[in-house]
Amino acid sequence: MVERRFIQRITGGVLALLVCSFSLFAQDEKELKPVTRTYAITNVNVVPTPGKKIDMATILIKDGLITAVGKGIAIPADAIVIKADSMYVYAGFIDGLSRVGVTKPKEEISRERVKDPGNPAPERAGITPQNDVRGSLNASDKSIEDLRNIGFTVAQVVPYGNLLPGQGSIVLLSGKSADQMVLVSNSSLYSELSGANGVYPNTTMAVIAKWRELYRQASQAKSYQSLYASNRVGLERPGSDRVLEAFYPVIDQRIPVLFKSEKMLDAHRILTLKSDLGFSLVMADVKEGWPVLSKIKVSGAKVFLSLDLPEEAKKDDKKSGGKSDKKADSTKAKEVAKPKTAADLERDALEKRKSEAIANYTTQASVFNKAGVSFGFSSLSAKPKDIPANLRRMIAAGLSEDAALAALTTTPAQLLGLSDRMGTVENGKMANLVISDKSYFNEKAKVRYVFVDGVMYKLEVKEENLHAGQAGKADPNAKVEIEGSWSTVTQTPQGSNDGKVTFKKDGSGYKGTISGGRMPAPADLTSVTLEGNKLSYSYSLSFGGNSIKVDVEATVEGDSFKGNASIGLRGSFSIEGTKNPKN
Amino acid sequence: MKKLFVLLFSSFILLGAMAQVDKGNLLIKNGTVITITKGNLEQTDVLIKDGKIAQIGKNITAPAGIKTVDASGHFVMPGIIDAHSHIALDGINEGTNPITPEVNESDVINPFQIGIYRALGGGITTVHAMHGSANAIGGQCETIKLRYGTFDPEVLKMDGAPRTIKFALGENPTRSHGEGSGIVPRTRMGVEFVIRQAFTEAKEYSEKWNQYNKAKLVKGFRGAPPTYSYRHEVLSDILNDKIIVHCHSYRADEIYMMLKVCKDFGIKRIVFQHVNEGFKVAPELAAQGAMASVFSDWWAYKFEVYYSTAYNAAILAKNGVVTSINSDDGEMMRHLYHEAGKTQKYGGLSDEEALALITINPAKQLGIENRVGSLEVGKEADIAIFKNHPLSIYGVPMFTIVDGIIRFDREKDPDDMRLMVDPKQAIETATFRDKLSDQDHCMEGAEFILDSELFNANKK
Repeated sequence: MVERRFIQRITGGVLALLVCSFSLFAQDEKELKPVTRTYAITNVNVVPTPGKKIDMATILIKDGLITAVGKGIAIPADAIVIKADSMYVYAGFIDGLSRVGVTKPKEEISRERVKDPGNPAPERAGITPQNDVRGSLNASDKSIEDLRNIGFTVAQVVPYGNLLPGQGSIVLLSGKSADQMVLVSNSSLYSELSGANGVYPNTTMAVIAKWRELYRQASQAKSYQSLYASNRVGLERPGSDRVLEAFYPVIDQRIPVLFKSEKMLDAHRILTLKSDLGFSLVMADVKEGWPVLSKIKVSGAKVFLSLDLPEEAKKDDKKSGGKSDKKADSTKAKEVAKPKTAADLERDALEKRKSEAIANYTTQASVFNKAGVSFGFSSLSAKPKDIPANLRRMIAAGLSEDAALAALTTTPAQLLGLSDRMGTVENGKMANLVISDKSYFNEKAKVRYVFVDGVMYKLEVKEENLHAGQAGKADPNAKVEIEGSWSTVTQTPQGSNDGKVTFKKDGSGYKGTISGGRMPAPADLTSVTLEGNKLSYSYSLSFGGNSIKVDVEATVEGDSFKGNASIGLRGSFSIEGTKNPKN
Repeated sequence: MKKLFVLLFSSFILLGAMAQVDKGNLLIKNGTVITITKGNLEQTDVLIKDGKIAQIGKNITAPAGIKTVDASGHFVMPGIIDAHSHIALDGINEGTNPITPEVNESDVINPFQIGIYRALGGGITTVHAMHGSANAIGGQCETIKLRYGTFDPEVLKMDGAPRTIKFALGENPTRSHGEGSGIVPRTRMGVEFVIRQAFTEAKEYSEKWNQYNKAKLVKGFRGAPPTYSYRHEVLSDILNDKIIVHCHSYRADEIYMMLKVCKDFGIKRIVFQHVNEGFKVAPELAAQGAMASVFSDWWAYKFEVYYSTAYNAAILAKNGVVTSINSDDGEMMRHLYHEAGKTQKYGGLSDEEALALITINPAKQLGIENRVGSLEVGKEADIAIFKNHPLSIYGVPMFTIVDGIIRFDREKDPDDMRLMVDPKQAIETATFRDKLSDQDHCMEGAEFILDSELFNANKK
């Protein structure tokens, strides 16, 4: 007994030493341990679970956990008190599929020419299911802060790639290293139905064929391995294969396949794969799920709906011309009298169908909810700053606020197997909280605090940001800086097209180059102008001896621009650009 | 009430579990019925029940609640079948490897393409949606029915139709792989070689599995199975007569070569596609039971297609080769009846022979002749109703019926028949154009998106 106590004392000493040396390191990085990990949020409207509310209550947080929720709770002496008078507190939001904090690999690898395009190395073909997202997770990436600032505290993140990019992890949107962020590692096998560039499998049909083959090969290899393990005598040694082995936990149904399922046809194809092969399936970033609803329901697949929505139809577009509102008003009377031309009628009909189409996307969540399919949300293709507005659009289209909140908190917690730890504001749960000054779904609400794993993030609320938030307004007096490199995405009927544009100061104006997309070589921009925040540039593409001029007009806002790329008379496509960080 | 709910609920589950194909009831009155197989019947009615032809005869009274179409003065013929098309597909060529039998168009059916509706406007009801011709052994194809209006790709599939696969000889595979990637095949010899090599490997593969499966029957057997290969599984299926080969070809020498390959590997069912020089080897094709699907008069779009004649279809048919006329094109597809009519000027085929080229013969080539391709009791009610005779230049398709459901009605033909509207597309660019038909027109509109010249070069 004495001996044991002695050992304990020694280990205690060693521990103390260790702690000392850690704090020495910490001092080097000029970072101090928090004085306390106890917080008291007082006088706050608590929404412990969707549909419930406790007015003017107190929440106690200690060492990363919620230790008390309710009224008349004594505040410990060491607590930092947050006077959240009349604010609202919810469980931290959970994102079903995201690449927040994940570093994008260099594009060159996926564009390298291969000697025999029919037999590329698995990495070149996009077949790296053995990759662990932790290897490409950067805890200091700004995207983490962006997503956290709108209330998300946990996300399932996956690596970049096409067919089988690797394994996802569920991470906290907090922490100083990849490992500190990780809550559940290898939570899913991530996949997309997208082909490799110029090599097998290039088309969707080949991607699906390859998927089937890999799965069947993995099942075969796995059963031979267990045969071998049961008695090795007289049996040929099974080889090691990282790709196939990555399927083993899927075959055992220990982890699901997490499929990006944006498009309706992808959803059908993925469900067919599931029913052929029998894995458990999570469909994420679903955008066009309404016609597939019954199939999804029968399949038992878990669902995360996309937080991205198509832009709302512009209401002013209906007036042909419609350049100035005043003019339109004064000519309104005449217009009513004037009979509509065939072209007007056609345009009206097309616009009607387009706005009906947009409505389908906006009502998707409500349709799923009414059909009794439980769902969470995913942010993969959504911009964080659009997410609160998109949620409000879904609510305006029939989703109840409670259902929206459930899809952000309790349901994803359940779908990801985290209900014992998060999803509600309850005693004993992880201290993942979002606090907004008004009800979260109120248009004017601003997030003021986010707690992740008991760590507090206080948000500065800048009033002037309100104006900047109104995107897309041309302002000749605005001052923007475009010099540097920008990544662009052009939406064409054939899919999105990535490119890179670089602007450089040239006297009083700018010059620039463009590369990527499907251009064989970088080209100089033929013109660049910047007036206020209105940016326009042009370049030429050559195809089969023909030269095609592309004109881009966009409005710059901070580090991004939005606008249109028009290709002569062939049409105009929406383009968005984001400035690449300097390095 | 509760019963009703249970009923509703269970039908809902069923809907999700399998592709639900809508089938209709209809009575077509007083038309000239062109049966194809049993002559023409004047002033005759066709009764359709549950998607099938229930009765053909005079003065049939409509059962209660059945819709009637008045075909007085009109011609009622079987829905037209196109044995070579690329509509309703997301992806035509997996052009990365000369041998890709494992890829399957059935996985990438796209029910939203407006070309499906347009084809209905030309009296088409069944289409062979094919892989392209970049590879010597390309992908498996899908026989689809034009049930335009469905959002479910499974519903377009003609359930139970035999499996088919695309092969290609000549310039397309040699250009894609030999010239494009610097690998075999670079010549016609190379094409033959890669096909023979693939079949030989497949034979070895199935032999290994046979041995393994046999050994497994012995009690206490322990051993490693051969590694599963999807590619070789499908190749074995071809060798075991489970898949009909549809082989893109032009020149007589390569057609003859392929006939020999089939003989050597015991492949019984082959349909040659395009076959512009088929007229030179018509007796040889007939002797081996090989079929031919041709253009009426389309040639000279590349070197290997110069030696051609508009008499090709007639010569093949008269030599006893089961011959069809196909479109391989979204536009030509809409007037295959005109294409068939050309064989009357060039070759003097009878009405019956000419119409067989776009009905029962393509049905035979797809192995669906017991279900469609002629108007007979018990067959599926896929019907085109024409104003004026379909072989006349004044012939106009008025109604197109699939499984007893009117899918096209010229009198009720709305402007906007899109099923899915892209919510991001600008109104100005809502051109309703098909991806595929675009690429025939010198890559118009899509040029900066398509880096794959190969895809365009190999369309035909």
